[in-house]
Amino acid sequence: MAEVSIKGTTRTEFGKGASRRARVAGLVPAVIYGHGEKPLHITLPARELGVALKESNVLLNIDIDGKAELTLPKSVVRHPLKQILEHIDLVLVRRGEKVTVSVPVHLEGKHDPDGILETQHNSIEVEAEATAIPKFLVLNIEGMAAGTSKHASDVILPAGTTLVSPENTIIVHLSERSTAVEEVAVAAPAADAAAAPAADAEKKD
Amino acid sequence: MLIPRKVKHRKQHHPSRSGASKGGTQVAFGDFGIQALAPAYVTNRQIEAARIAMTRYIKRGGKVWINIYPDRPLTKKPAETRMGSGKGSPEWWIANVKPGRIMFEISGVTEAVATEAMRLAIHKLPMKCRVVKREEA
Repeated sequence: MAEVSIKGTTRTEFGKGASRRARVAGLVPAVIYGHGEKPLHITLPARELGVALKESNVLLNIDIDGKAELTLPKSVVRHPLKQILEHIDLVLVRRGEKVTVSVPVHLEGKHDPDGILETQHNSIEVEAEATAIPKFLVLNIEGMAAGTSKHASDVILPAGTTLVSPENTIIVHLSERSTAVEEVAVAAPAADAAAAPAADAEKKD
Repeated sequence: MLIPRKVKHRKQHHPSRSGASKGGTQVAFGDFGIQALAPAYVTNRQIEAARIAMTRYIKRGGKVWINIYPDRPLTKKPAETRMGSGKGSPEWWIANVKPGRIMFEISGVTEAVATEAMRLAIHKLPMKCRVVKREEA
């Protein structure tokens, strides 16, 4: 797991207006907490942070006024449409410390073409050393038959990583393709007119 | 067509259209989704029309998810009626959709098929939308 060093500055003003001004200036409001220490409110450069966050569970080495803090992203808030970073929560970690993180699961291999692959969980929780968190985990779906599922216990875990999610958590399910051609119900105008007051009639009863 | 079986109040106020969607902004079940770019009231007829457009295009393959539900009634006064004399009668069932919301999802088809199916479905919806892909972490 690569470490990314970012220079942060301590926030002096708080609230909606101050946060908006910071975002306009190309900064992202952030907070660092953990290990029973007092929360630290900072701003980070949006561009550098955005590049660093392309990798899941990236270790961020935040340099604040000459003091370095090793952190992991805990919660990232993005704008629903623009996808710009609005806020980030960082949790303090120490080298050698075991942390529980959510790691993405990548699928490998080809499944039975008669089935439709449904992803139930994109990621699973594992416990790993803070400096050795895997970028992703691999689940082999080679030859998977329709109607079967792959569970968290089927994911290949690297050495030093233990599973935290329940073993029976379904990661992917290969559902059987329906053979019947779907009949599209075209509602008659009279039926539609009756449908709207359906709930009304029930209320009157 | 989607319609509530039972409602607590048959006539409601118009729901708020301001702000962005607070949740349901990521593709959660399928591989591709239709994201709303503007606020709108989506009726149950529009939801059904979009669903039919998608399922007809993808034929037997793939699976479609509908993430919104038309659980709010909208009322309308009859034409040429004087003001007053109470609220009109329920006319439509609508889902209050705000920008950012993923309304439909699709999986089990290629990107080209999914994009075309969703393009057809977007034509049935009352607001600007875009096709989004599941984020690969």
